[in-house]
Amino acid sequence: MAKIALTLEINRERHEVLVEPDRTLLDVLRTDLGLTGTKTNCLDAECGVCTVLVDGEAVNACLYLAVVAQGRAITTIEGLAPAGALHPLQQAFVELGAVQCGYCIPGMILSAKAYLDEHPRPSEAQVREALAGNLCRCTGYQKIVDAVLAAAERLAAPVGAS
Amino acid sequence: MSRFEYHEPESLRDAIALAARFGTEASFLAGGTDLIVQLERGRIAPRHVIGLRRVPGLTGIEVNGRVTLGARVTPRAIERAPELAGAFRCLIEGAEVIGGHQVRNVATVGGNLVNASPAADLVPGLLALAGAVTLVGPAGEREVSIEHFLLGPNRTARRPDELLTRVSLPALPTRAATAFLKAGRRRAMEIAVVGVAARLTLDASLERCLEARIALGAVAPTAVRAHQAERALEGQPVGPEAFRRAAEMAQDACRPIDDVRASAAFRRHLVGVLVRRALDRCVTRARSAA
Repeated sequence: MAKIALTLEINRERHEVLVEPDRTLLDVLRTDLGLTGTKTNCLDAECGVCTVLVDGEAVNACLYLAVVAQGRAITTIEGLAPAGALHPLQQAFVELGAVQCGYCIPGMILSAKAYLDEHPRPSEAQVREALAGNLCRCTGYQKIVDAVLAAAERLAAPVGAS
Repeated sequence: MSRFEYHEPESLRDAIALAARFGTEASFLAGGTDLIVQLERGRIAPRHVIGLRRVPGLTGIEVNGRVTLGARVTPRAIERAPELAGAFRCLIEGAEVIGGHQVRNVATVGGNLVNASPAADLVPGLLALAGAVTLVGPAGEREVSIEHFLLGPNRTARRPDELLTRVSLPALPTRAATAFLKAGRRRAMEIAVVGVAARLTLDASLERCLEARIALGAVAPTAVRAHQAERALEGQPVGPEAFRRAAEMAQDACRPIDDVRASAAFRRHLVGVLVRRALDRCVTRARSAA
C-alpha cells in the first residue's frame, strides 16, 4: 500500500505531495503543507473548524481524502486575501468583535464566503442557516452573524460607493 | 502505512471488476461523509477503496415524468433542482435538513441509501415516492424496490460486488403532492428523532384521497411504510378525521426505540403529529397546484 504522488492546487498554487491514500485533506494541509489555519477538532463533520473550499463549495476537510481533492481548486483561510491584506469578511469580523478564542473563525469565514458568493444579499436567518455546520463555543454567534451581514453589504455595494 | 489501497476506475465496468476481485475487502467511496467516519472509528477496515468520481453517468438528475437520480447526486444538487420543486418536493425537504452545507455539498443519494441508517433523511421521501434502486454487478443489472433493498441498520440487499448506480422514481399522477417533515432536538445538524414523508393523490373534486403513501424514518430498524394507514385513507374524504385515524395506524406500524435522542413513547407521539401535518401539507400543495 504505497504512497501516491498528488498534485494539489491550493490557494492558486500547485503543490506536489507524496502521501498515503488514506490521509485526509485536513491532515495533508496541516502536516505536510504547514497550512495550519485549517483547524482540527471533531473529525466527524459536526463542528466545521476544518472547513475549506473545494471548487468554491464548503467541505469538511476532515472527511475528504486528499486523493479526491486532486484536480480541484482548494481555498484555505490562508488564501482568502493576498498576504498582508484582509478579505472584507475578515475585516468585518475584526471590526465587529466577532472573534473570541478564534478556533472556529477560519471555518466560519470560509462557510460565509461560499454562501455569500451564491447569495450576495442574505437575511439574518439565511446567514444563521449558512453557518449551521460551524460551531462556536465562545461568542453566542450574534457578532459572527452581524459581521457576515456587514461584509455582505460591503461586498454587494457598487465599487466606489461608501 | 496506508490502511487501504486506493483505486479510481474510469468506467462502470472497471469499478465492478474491482469490486468483484476484492469482494468484502473493498468499499466504494462516493462522498465519504459516512465512509470516512466509519473508517476513522475503526468500524470498517477495507483493504481496498474504490473511488467513484471518475465513473461517468452517476451525477445526473433526470426528470421526464419519472425521476432518475444518479448515485452520486448530492443533497446540494437536489436542493437546487427546480424540476423537483413541484410534486417531488419531499426530496428537497429531505435534502435540505441533512447535516450542514459542508456535508450536503459532498454526501450522495447512493451513500445515504447504502449506509442504511434508519434515520437517513432522504430515504422516507424515496420510499413514499415508490423508488427503486439499480444495482449493477458482474452478472448484469437488477432493479430492487427501496422497501426490499433496506434490510436493517447498515444492511441492504446490495451484494459486495454490486454498485448502486441510480434511484428511479415513477411519474406522479396529477393532483399528487408530497411532503417530508423531520423532528429533531434542534433545527440543524441533527440526526432525525422522527422523519415522516407522505404522498397524497386527490380525486377530481380535490376532496377525496385517491391514493396515499406514508413512510416513517427513525422509528424502526429501517425506514418503513405505514401500509395500513395508507389503505385507510384511500377513497376517504381528506380532513382531520381521516388523518387522525391514519396517524394512529402509523403509530401502530412503528417500532421505535428509547435512546439518547428521545424515548420510544415520544417518538410514537411525534409520528402521530408529523403524519397529520405531512398529510395536511400534501392536501394544501395538491390543491394549490390544481
